[in-house]
Amino acid sequence: MAFVSQAVDRVFKMNVEMMGLQLLLPEIFVLTMACIVLVLDLFLHDRNRVVTYGLSQLTLFGALALVIALADGDSHTAMFGTYVADPMASLAKAFVMLVVFAVFLYSKDYLRQRDLFKGEYYVLGLFGVLGMMVMISAHSYLTLYLGLELLSLSLYAMVAFHRDSGVASEAAMKYFVLGALASGMLLYGMSLIYGITGSLNIAEVAASIGAMAELELALIFALSFVVLGLAFKLGAVPFHMWIPDVYHGAPTCVTLFIGSAPKIAAFAMAMRLLAESLGGVQADWGGMLAILAVLSLAVGNVIAIAQANLKRMLAYSTISHVGFLLLGILSGTVEGYASALFYAITYAIMAAAAFGMIILLSRTGFEADTLEDFKGLNARSPWHAFLMLLVMFSMAGVPPTVGFYAKLAVIQAVVGVDLLWLALVAVFFSIIGAFYYLRVVKLMYFDEPLDSQPLEYGTDMHVAISVNGLAILLLGLFPGALMSACMAAMGL
Amino acid sequence: MTFEKFIFYVFAAILVFAAVRVITVRNPVHAALHLVLAFFTTAGLWLLLEAEFLAITLVLVYVGAVMVLFLFVIMMLDVNVAPLKEGFARYLPVALPVAILMLVEMVLVVGSHYFSDERMPAPERHGADYSNTRELGSVLYTDYVYPFEIAAVILLVAIVAAISLTLRRRPDTKYLNPADQVKVRREDRVRVIKMDSESRE
Amino acid sequence: MLENYLPILVFIGIGVVIGAIAIAVGFLLGPHKPDSEKNSPYECGFEAFEDSRMKFDVRYYLVAILFIIFDLEIAFLFPWAIVLEDIGLFGFLAMVLFLGILVIGFIYEWKKGALEWE
Repeated sequence: MAFVSQAVDRVFKMNVEMMGLQLLLPEIFVLTMACIVLVLDLFLHDRNRVVTYGLSQLTLFGALALVIALADGDSHTAMFGTYVADPMASLAKAFVMLVVFAVFLYSKDYLRQRDLFKGEYYVLGLFGVLGMMVMISAHSYLTLYLGLELLSLSLYAMVAFHRDSGVASEAAMKYFVLGALASGMLLYGMSLIYGITGSLNIAEVAASIGAMAELELALIFALSFVVLGLAFKLGAVPFHMWIPDVYHGAPTCVTLFIGSAPKIAAFAMAMRLLAESLGGVQADWGGMLAILAVLSLAVGNVIAIAQANLKRMLAYSTISHVGFLLLGILSGTVEGYASALFYAITYAIMAAAAFGMIILLSRTGFEADTLEDFKGLNARSPWHAFLMLLVMFSMAGVPPTVGFYAKLAVIQAVVGVDLLWLALVAVFFSIIGAFYYLRVVKLMYFDEPLDSQPLEYGTDMHVAISVNGLAILLLGLFPGALMSACMAAMGL
Repeated sequence: MTFEKFIFYVFAAILVFAAVRVITVRNPVHAALHLVLAFFTTAGLWLLLEAEFLAITLVLVYVGAVMVLFLFVIMMLDVNVAPLKEGFARYLPVALPVAILMLVEMVLVVGSHYFSDERMPAPERHGADYSNTRELGSVLYTDYVYPFEIAAVILLVAIVAAISLTLRRRPDTKYLNPADQVKVRREDRVRVIKMDSESRE
Repeated sequence: MLENYLPILVFIGIGVVIGAIAIAVGFLLGPHKPDSEKNSPYECGFEAFEDSRMKFDVRYYLVAILFIIFDLEIAFLFPWAIVLEDIGLFGFLAMVLFLGILVIGFIYEWKKGALEWE
């Protein structure tokens, strides 16, 4: 009899399984296409390599369509509770696709000029996208961790992609060693939580913590490892050491990839881990995140002033933006989470535009990655100087760009939970940070150009970066739509 | 002390010894060999926890394959032994207090009653017919099929990354292609020329 | 479960003891008169030219890492083979997909020429 009931149970389970499978269509599509691109690329001649690029972009487009088509505003779990499709996942995935679409487009000419136009960049990029999707939709610690590893492994390989560059190899090495250490910490924390609650499933962990009569010290011990691993991956101070070296050392097109879309995925990971599964100990991780946030804001903004290399400066600026992201999360309210999601998405768009501008100014044998290279850009190309101005204003938080609105929403959320001092710290360091962003604007508009060569760019690049730059302005003028989407994603 | 506890302490002592040797021996090859010993004793400890499959996998994959890779890498890098010890004495005043502080912290947390036997009781021992591998297999390919397939994708990315980062074509080296050698036909090598025989005069 | 592993423990013990005895007996009973010539390394009668450890080619590394990846894949096959009767068609298809993804990797490896030794 037991055998029969087991068989019935299994058949029932398989039906549930079949019902859940259609939710995974975007992931399945990206995986299938990535494999097709990988194999097809082997049979392509170098001059037809553009086919790989086209198919990769098509994959992102198709996945975006699938994500939108499947979004129904409800939360569903699939694959025996290891996968979840909810509004936050749909929104985050849709923006990952859009940002990576821009990243691939900007990278094309850059790779070509450097003789790096190989299929592996796009294939690894697609696998990275798959990793981000898995992370965003994770409903089990195991899935979350594997998604993170899939993303990280692709990124390590992409950083080292320019094999003859010593700086890139060094950056990849640092990234890999520190990333592996952080993964270990995260995994250790997760395993302790598994030991305490007896489950890896995010909903079950949350229920188990909710049912505890008194909080276990062991749980806080585990939590500190989880927060530590998370801070490493986000690049929050004092776990930020890898960010400047990796951003600086990696080829600009890879920096562009690392600096943009993964921030959205990292935000989703923080949400799944802290807010959804460990919401019961919010008071504890809120305090930890507050320390990380204040340090990130201080160190990021102050050290960025001293940088002469634009990629390095943007790396420190990333650290300060991570501080803002953490502020939104640590408030522990739905408004705070929504503002942090808004921040992550708009930051990814800004970062794509900023690194896209560096790529646009670069040409064969020349990397436009120092501040000097932006001198007098207005005289060379007023339109691009204007776009860069928008990006810098937005990062500094000058109205009417979207950066202002994002910062405002986060500060509102922090004030909403009576953490006025944190809001003041954030405003104070934003004002300090405005200095180095506005310095770039000053260099572009008031200095003589050092470089008189005309800019080289294709039409697609020109259109894309214009759209990207104007999106920063338009989202700033009309933030309502995206903000309400973020609110809806958090269940408001 | 039960026999099981005795075995645990034997393995644990060897493990700690091996781990210390890994970071203190001068010769990197010896360090790698001590790491083999550390892995092997860890497998023994895992077996005591009834994690039979993991223990065997540790021996098969880590001792068998990963250590070979480690040795290859050590040989590839041609590590110079002398600089490895540089700065040891210089950083010791900083490192030692940090290490002691960490040790004290760990003892305070792990030694507290939150990790005591009452709160975290040891699980029941299983009988002789219990198979950990069977238990693992019955959930790995059904309940955890999604993580399982992601693991395959991670391995695929590892293949792509390893090849795209280390494979270099060497057109200048001379080597024989066995496939071409096998495929060769008589006509490719020997040309039979029909000649009219010359007349004598 | 652990009692099943007792024979292995006994084997490990016997192995260690026999190994130790063999070395100890040789050390204790053998004549032991070292001098500097006996202790120095030699290379066909010459002084040693270089360190016995030489630099390996990076190609060995590639072979080793590809071996590890497929070694891991095989590690996943063991529990699967044991429970195949219980997990049925679903578990079978799960493994087919797993191997299918790795076959893509194998095609990549083959076509790229990573299996060639130039």
